[in-house]
Amino acid sequence: MNNSLSPKAIREIREGTCNPLGAPQVTTDLSENIILTSLDDLHNWARLSSLWPLLYGTACCFIEFAALIGSRFDFDRFGLVPRSSPRQADLLIVAGTVTMKMAPALVRLYEQMPEPKYVIAMGACTITGGMFSSDSTTAVRGVDKLIPVDLYLPGCPPRPEAIFDAVIKLRKKVSNESVFERSKAEQTHRYFTIEHKMNLVFSENNGEYLNKKSEKALDASSNQEFSESLKEEETVFIDSEE
Amino acid sequence: MEKENNSPKEQLVDQRGLISKKLINENIDNDSLGTDHIGVEILAVEPDNLCKTISKLKTFGFNYLQCQGGYDEGPGKRLVSFYHLISLGDISTIEKVMEVRVKVFLSRDSDLSIPSLYSIFKGSDWQERETYDMFGINFIDHPCPKRLLMPEDWRGWPLRKDYIQPDFYELQDAY
Repeated sequence: MNNSLSPKAIREIREGTCNPLGAPQVTTDLSENIILTSLDDLHNWARLSSLWPLLYGTACCFIEFAALIGSRFDFDRFGLVPRSSPRQADLLIVAGTVTMKMAPALVRLYEQMPEPKYVIAMGACTITGGMFSSDSTTAVRGVDKLIPVDLYLPGCPPRPEAIFDAVIKLRKKVSNESVFERSKAEQTHRYFTIEHKMNLVFSENNGEYLNKKSEKALDASSNQEFSESLKEEETVFIDSEE
Repeated sequence: MEKENNSPKEQLVDQRGLISKKLINENIDNDSLGTDHIGVEILAVEPDNLCKTISKLKTFGFNYLQCQGGYDEGPGKRLVSFYHLISLGDISTIEKVMEVRVKVFLSRDSDLSIPSLYSIFKGSDWQERETYDMFGINFIDHPCPKRLLMPEDWRGWPLRKDYIQPDFYELQDAY
């Protein structure tokens, strides 16, 4: 049937082609006023229309991701509202290289996100380590070693349109889920934890030295020398062409 | 990249440069290593003399530590910490920016300690931390002698030529 017809036109066609008893009034009223759907579909439709991504970015991939926030690409039309807190986010787009120093922070952010949550591994660095995979001492070779990934988005970095494509594919994935099957996809014990007997200690180096006013470490004679040279305001430049 | 020890640039030269001579006149012992390809004079000093040398150079007018860094001459060879100083001043009066490079050579089996320059140039703070992080050169009296880039509990010094990468799961190839 041609979808572009208006409801009124459809009604007229139906009346004209029906038997002398006329159009079936009850079914017409039902189909025009009631939407029949499953609870799953309704729930999925609500979720996929409001995938809130976490504002997470560590390198150049995030520049492309940040372009989506602006009016040119405008990812609000997909219902993506950037969140600065993992507790309000559904979607983690891992944009940029993840180093071993960043890895605990990333895992912590992921674990703080409420279920159900989705992860897009964006760019070559998060998929395999990218250009850092050959000789880097710290880059994690593939973020799926740390957190489960729903969708891999290749590129170095991917264009903003490619991120849209990934989001649309993720929406398709979300729309196929069922509440009854959720327990199958739930995370089990991924991390092996044991009781430890270590004491929490804090570093002596707390950065206070940056606000220090005096220079005690400098020995007195050279300190005097500096202040004298500063007073003169004329530093002796050595002429190389002497 | 720096050349190896036996290249002519790293060898002591008989003809002392101007800055080297001036330091000798001030009773600061140093070795002259000639000049690099753009004519920047290179000095070598002992770790004990470093603070004296740099503060004297500061009074000479080299008032900006442009770069501090380290490099490894090769497996079994020396570790080097270098300091690149330039003279900054009023742009309307200054004719030419003077530069000098000071190097401290440390034998690999020594305790690898150099006095920190934090009290003279505050900008050396993170640069010395990075050199410590990558080469394991200890900067005495540094106010915050922690690793800068690597995790704080990391073992080994990644930019040394004889460094061997540990086989972490996170660092294994993604196949």
